[in-house]
Amino acid sequence: MIIPVLTLIIMLIVGAVVLGFIAVSAMFLIWWERKVSAHIQTRYGPMRVGWHGALQSVADVIKLLLKENITPSGVDRLSWWLAPFFAVVPVVMVFVCIPFGNIFGIELIARDLNIGILYIMALTSICVLGIFMAGWGSNNKYSLLGGMRSAAQIVSYEIPLVLAMVTAVMFAGSLSMQKIVEAQKGLWFVFQPNMAIAFAIFIIAGTAEVNRTPFDIPEAESELVAGFHTEYSGMKFAMFFLGEYTNMFVISALAATLFLGGWSGPFLPPVIWFLIKTYGLVTFMMWIRWTLPRVRVDQLMGFAWKVLTPVSFANLIVAGWILMK
Amino acid sequence: MIKYFTCIISGIWNLAKGLFVTLKNVFVKPVTLQYPTQKLEMTQRYRGLVDLYPEKCIKCGQCVKICPTACLDLSVKAGEGADKKKEFGHFKYNMELCCFCGLCEQVCPTQAIYMNKIYEIAVYEHGKLHIDLLDKDKYDEWANPDVK
Repeated sequence: MIIPVLTLIIMLIVGAVVLGFIAVSAMFLIWWERKVSAHIQTRYGPMRVGWHGALQSVADVIKLLLKENITPSGVDRLSWWLAPFFAVVPVVMVFVCIPFGNIFGIELIARDLNIGILYIMALTSICVLGIFMAGWGSNNKYSLLGGMRSAAQIVSYEIPLVLAMVTAVMFAGSLSMQKIVEAQKGLWFVFQPNMAIAFAIFIIAGTAEVNRTPFDIPEAESELVAGFHTEYSGMKFAMFFLGEYTNMFVISALAATLFLGGWSGPFLPPVIWFLIKTYGLVTFMMWIRWTLPRVRVDQLMGFAWKVLTPVSFANLIVAGWILMK
Repeated sequence: MIKYFTCIISGIWNLAKGLFVTLKNVFVKPVTLQYPTQKLEMTQRYRGLVDLYPEKCIKCGQCVKICPTACLDLSVKAGEGADKKKEFGHFKYNMELCCFCGLCEQVCPTQAIYMNKIYEIAVYEHGKLHIDLLDKDKYDEWANPDVK
């Protein structure tokens, strides 16, 4: 089958816009995280490059681009080279069905898949593969331990995450992201009692999914150097960083879409509402990161299996009972 | 079972308390300074470099005697006036040896020798650490690092 040229051009434009948005968003988030952490610790953070250090991330990206790409001896070449791509590409692919709202009647969603949630869950699960490949390929005990921990953590926390999402899907009656947003036109899901619990579970499990403190044991600085990306430098390291911050954006965008009404809201344009909600949740995750210490591995596993999973199951049953009533 | 639920609830409560503490910090003015442009005022008793008021000095040499590292060097000659009042030969201060103990300041009967507030004291040449205390502009370059 020959793809018409026009479709190809539109695909390229949409792809470029999405990639541009991801890069700018990640750079903004890195700067924002440094500012938030600084003010929580009563510091200023970056102040020199641009207004209040706004161009600091740009300077960092230029530095990382110019750095030498070191490949340590004894690495498993294939997994070493592929790991950064596995960390970034699935996260970028998720952007296909994230509804950004609409501008002048044009829907800002690349493709509203009717199995949107399933597609997103399938792709976010691939990220763990990138981390594990990095850990395995680096030929370094810290990296390997980080990769192992990450695999255990993400597999455990995916269950409550999916169960929380399923609760929202049951109420919306659809897997399509746009339909879920439309189902919340009257009342955001988060204002219903059992959905509020699902939202809390989603945020906790989502924080664990993107390996952030208090669940950052895969890259625990004080014990594992830098975990799975210990041996990476230059642009490969930057790709892990880009993946991590984009992942954070994706999880927050999902939480905003599933529980906070997505792009719907009064007065302001839909895109603004979507970005406010998403970046608000991202800021909340940063706030949590700079408040809490890291949990131990056994605490982490115990929390996932003994608290989050039963609670989310019970929540799901209650949701089913409410819907059947 | 009750323990399980109380554990969860107390966990949430403690989490909220922690978040409140960090939130409060966000609205506090940062305690750090933007160093080269903003500088900290040194405390009143801060011991910087040794400095001298030549007009107050009676050339008794007590500072030279008490200096534990012998970094001060004073030579005195008889004055040419009728009263033969003592005059400075030279008064050298070797900062390479100075241990910033402040004994010279304490022992001085006229408070002529004192320690100033300069703290940016790194230099590129050894020669710059051999200071002539009688030179009026000796610390100009130190006090304003931008002056070259």
